[in-house]
Amino acid sequence: MNALAGFSIWAQRNRWIWAAIGVLLLWLVLSVVTSRFSLSSLSGVILSASFLTVVGIGQMFVVTTGRGNIDLSVASVITLNAFVALLTIKGQDANLAIGVIAAILLGLAVGALNSLLVVGLGIPAIIATLATGYVLATATLLSNKAIPGFAVSPALKELATGRIFGVPIMAVIVIIGVAATSFVLRYTVFGQLLSAVGQNRAAARLAGIRNGRMIASAFVISSVLASLDGLLLGAYIGGAFLEMGQPYLLQSIAAVVLGGTLIFGGSATALGTLFASILLILIVTTMQIVGLPPGAQDIVQGIVVIFVLALAGRQALARRASVDLADDDKDSVAKTEANATAAHSK
Amino acid sequence: MSHIAVAVQGTAAAAAPAGPSVVSLSGITKSFGPTLANAGIDLSVGAGDVIGLVGGNGAGKSTLMRILCGAMWPTLGAISFAGEDVAFAAYDTGEAQRRGIRMVHQELSLCANLSVAENFFLETPADSASRPGWRALYRARARAALDAVFPGNGIDADAEVGHLTIAERQMVEIARAAATPGVKLIVLDEPTSSLDLDRSKQLRAFIRERAKAGLAFIFISHKLQEIIDIATEVVVLRNGRSAWQGHAADASIGKLVQLMGGDANPVHQHAVAAASSQDVLVRLSGPLTAALGRDIDIVRGEIVGLAGLEGSGQKELLHSIFSPGRNEHAGVSRRAEAGFIAGDRQKEGVFPLWSVLSNISIGALARRSALGLVSDRANRDTATGAAGKLRLDDKRFQSNITDLSGGNQQKALVARALVADTPVILLDDPTRGVDIATKQDFYRLCNEVARGGRALVWHTTEDAELLACDRVLVFSSGRIVKELAGEAITEQAIVGASFAQPADSLTSTARRQSAMAGLGRKLVNAAPFIGLAAVLAIMIAINPAVASTFGLDLLLMPALSLVLVTAAQMFIVGGSEIDLGVGAFAGLVSVLSATLLYDQPWLGALALLAALAAYTGLGGIIQARKIPAIVVTLGASFIWVGIGYALQPTPGGASPEWLSTLFGWSIGFMPTSIIMIVAVALIVFVIDWLPLGVVLRGFGNNPAAMIRSGWSPTRYALVRYLIAGLFAGAAGLSLTAINTASDINSGNSFTLLSVAAVVMGGCSLLGGIISPVGAVAGAVTLSLIGALLGTLSVSSDYNAATQGLILIALLTLRSLTADRRSEP
Repeated sequence: MNALAGFSIWAQRNRWIWAAIGVLLLWLVLSVVTSRFSLSSLSGVILSASFLTVVGIGQMFVVTTGRGNIDLSVASVITLNAFVALLTIKGQDANLAIGVIAAILLGLAVGALNSLLVVGLGIPAIIATLATGYVLATATLLSNKAIPGFAVSPALKELATGRIFGVPIMAVIVIIGVAATSFVLRYTVFGQLLSAVGQNRAAARLAGIRNGRMIASAFVISSVLASLDGLLLGAYIGGAFLEMGQPYLLQSIAAVVLGGTLIFGGSATALGTLFASILLILIVTTMQIVGLPPGAQDIVQGIVVIFVLALAGRQALARRASVDLADDDKDSVAKTEANATAAHSK
Repeated sequence: MSHIAVAVQGTAAAAAPAGPSVVSLSGITKSFGPTLANAGIDLSVGAGDVIGLVGGNGAGKSTLMRILCGAMWPTLGAISFAGEDVAFAAYDTGEAQRRGIRMVHQELSLCANLSVAENFFLETPADSASRPGWRALYRARARAALDAVFPGNGIDADAEVGHLTIAERQMVEIARAAATPGVKLIVLDEPTSSLDLDRSKQLRAFIRERAKAGLAFIFISHKLQEIIDIATEVVVLRNGRSAWQGHAADASIGKLVQLMGGDANPVHQHAVAAASSQDVLVRLSGPLTAALGRDIDIVRGEIVGLAGLEGSGQKELLHSIFSPGRNEHAGVSRRAEAGFIAGDRQKEGVFPLWSVLSNISIGALARRSALGLVSDRANRDTATGAAGKLRLDDKRFQSNITDLSGGNQQKALVARALVADTPVILLDDPTRGVDIATKQDFYRLCNEVARGGRALVWHTTEDAELLACDRVLVFSSGRIVKELAGEAITEQAIVGASFAQPADSLTSTARRQSAMAGLGRKLVNAAPFIGLAAVLAIMIAINPAVASTFGLDLLLMPALSLVLVTAAQMFIVGGSEIDLGVGAFAGLVSVLSATLLYDQPWLGALALLAALAAYTGLGGIIQARKIPAIVVTLGASFIWVGIGYALQPTPGGASPEWLSTLFGWSIGFMPTSIIMIVAVALIVFVIDWLPLGVVLRGFGNNPAAMIRSGWSPTRYALVRYLIAGLFAGAAGLSLTAINTASDINSGNSFTLLSVAAVVMGGCSLLGGIISPVGAVAGAVTLSLIGALLGTLSVSSDYNAATQGLILIALLTLRSLTADRRSEP
């Protein structure tokens, strides 16, 4: 009983554990129920999940800045850059560097545009990134006409699909990336400031943090990661097609929320995003094995997102309520007065 | 403790003008932790009484009034109405209103996006019965109420409250409370703060007249001559206790000021000969100091207090010093880094997810390079020093900040400013709601810090604390009107200076600015019509056949679906949410109607109803769980699409005959599409015009005020989504009818387009605005973009980018013309 209480306290601080437990349970069930599941099939799932994790980590940075910030342009960035990669690399290893540089530049440009709209002009993130996505959709259509063919550079192909000792190279990269992200979030000034901005923007500003920069950097990170993800995903599937990034829009948000990052901002977990990505891919794979129609996969994903949010919403509410209570006890006078001041100053 | 009952009670009152008791509070005590906001206060209000309630900042007036109005329960005490005792457990704002108590709040509780008459409706909806002409009824009532209190006010009952000046809004608010049927007691909290002298006189005349008729008033004001003029009884509060209660005839301004002037025991000893340094850190100049005729320099080693009535510009000065670049006219220049200690801990202070230690060390981190590393050890070492000075136990470093008492939270915030180590420290009323021991620690620390060579600028609402300062700047109406130094700092002097200057209005400049922005906004609002006209003109110029009935129909029929989706989105946006699944929902309805409804009409109808119910339920979930609508509706969009795919993996199906007829009729000379598009706009207009629409818009603008007036947020969230669902469903049916088949993806592109159309139409994403004509024009324009590009022989590939760029351009324009609030 005591151990259980201890665990629940620990789990409150390490919310990624729930996604990890989910992965473990689902995988155990699958290996018992179907004979088709094995360690190697799990590594296949992890490989697919890697591509989701990359864009999910970017999305996580944006969500962490709070105020309902979400990057809806990631899907378009992924698709566009899969095409741009075909255009720039042309299937030649020699052009790989150009392709990577192009991907990074594209990501920087989109991130800068999103930041300009959101931070500079104060347009709500969801509208700004939705609009950016539309502009990118046209760019994708245009590059679709210009691509020379679907040849993928062998080195990139190896990176996206190859394995070392049976472990997908992508998975290794992503795990290292997740570890690095966790480190950045926990042990660098940047990570702390980001969390502060997401928790309480007014307090962050008064503490001397430049909120605009933090929010802008989150959008840039998201766009650059999505861009690189598009490059790798193109190599993984061996080409590019319109709408190829579309599934990653909801899935990236689902991975973030499911992983334990707070949708209201201020607290992020890269490890959770990784496990949630694996869990989501595992769910999709399961549905394919069971033979559910493709529509059912969408339905299940949608339900999972709403369900998790409704649950997490309650937790966040409880947290807020406790803040309110703590302050209500002592500060309601202050609040009334402050409101009065606000009314005056308008 | 001596309590003097205000109204003369019992039979002995025969000679007194006071009528029978309306409400009586006795022994009201309210503690917030260790602080007593109210201590044993008695207050009895008789019919026809006008009670003047005065007291310094933080004397307990607001708390007492909140208890009276049911917004807060006291720790101890009792309340009775006309001699009938009422348990506080059964007493809330609703009960207070039923018993005839109305309060006019200082923070105005009107919905700024509604007309004056509509705001009257929100307060007393019962007698509208939503029959035709209800608006005229409330218009007449608003007119009569306004004229009764403020003759010759010139306020148009149909004017939008947001377009009124602050004084006019105040007048509306007062008139609305006074006109409530069955009202027995009206509490006026600083009613004249933004009224000019004539209006103030009118208000007082009205109060006198109504008091004769038996209505009771409680009049809270800092303008003491008004109190003496209007009140029959005066109650003076000080430090949560009633300092004096008596007849207004026995009171004088001098006596009241003396009674209000705070604590006898000084909180603090003066800093010894501070401010000898000539190292100027902050200079104040310009209009701010015009009344003094010289600049003010704040130097190292001194504590400068900011005094005056609340909201006279003290907070604004602190924020100007903190970020001088934001307002160039403020006349503030700062030559060293500044730290800020917020008194509104919840809003501007704590990071609620973090431990105490993290909350402290962020002060130092914020000033380091973002690439630097954080070490718990180093954080702890720096924080321990600061916490030690504050007697904040470092054993509590790992606790969550919200687990601490208000006083300890405040210590953590002070420690944050100390570890930031800035030469200038700005304090925004930091001792609010803090116990006396913490206050003493705090005063001691302030002295120490100032002597260490920093400058402290201290805004406080407790006048007694100003005695701790080396200099005090007294504010009135946004200007510094007096500078007190050293021995000249006494509470009498401070109170005297704050009350000395009559408040003049700052509203004129604000009004001019908003007029400028209004012109820009009008231009942006005309954009959809200009755009539509331009698009049509270009197309007709290139291909005159477009102008024919047939040509227009061909062009506009596909726009109908988008117009319907836009109508749906508009109601969601009106509630300050966005539906990212509305297009997918239309697609699902289209699939349902082309498959199930075609094959098995009953099952199909049932499925459509179920889909509508699910969509409505979404609104309920979002409201009940307070979760972001964006993500929920995005998730829902996958559910809609998934169901659609499962039912119909590839496009196909057929449109039921009656459905095709419904959209396929023709009356010859007018294009059917135009008639239907106009009809949609008309339906939206009517819904919006009905009382229901008024309530929905009210919720979009000011949900707190709506709840205060007794409206249920959950019910109206459901209604909002039901209406949106009906429009989106109609869009789905129109898709099936127009395409004579269905495709689950046919609605997808509508989602963003509908948001764009709504924004083009002039609706604010903040909610509260429904603009049927503009949004419909926007929707038609956007759906014509494809055809326009085709006419101009531009590849349809550019369609999406054009639509996206139009949206970005419009939002940019709108953001540039809108008056920007404090901070994104």
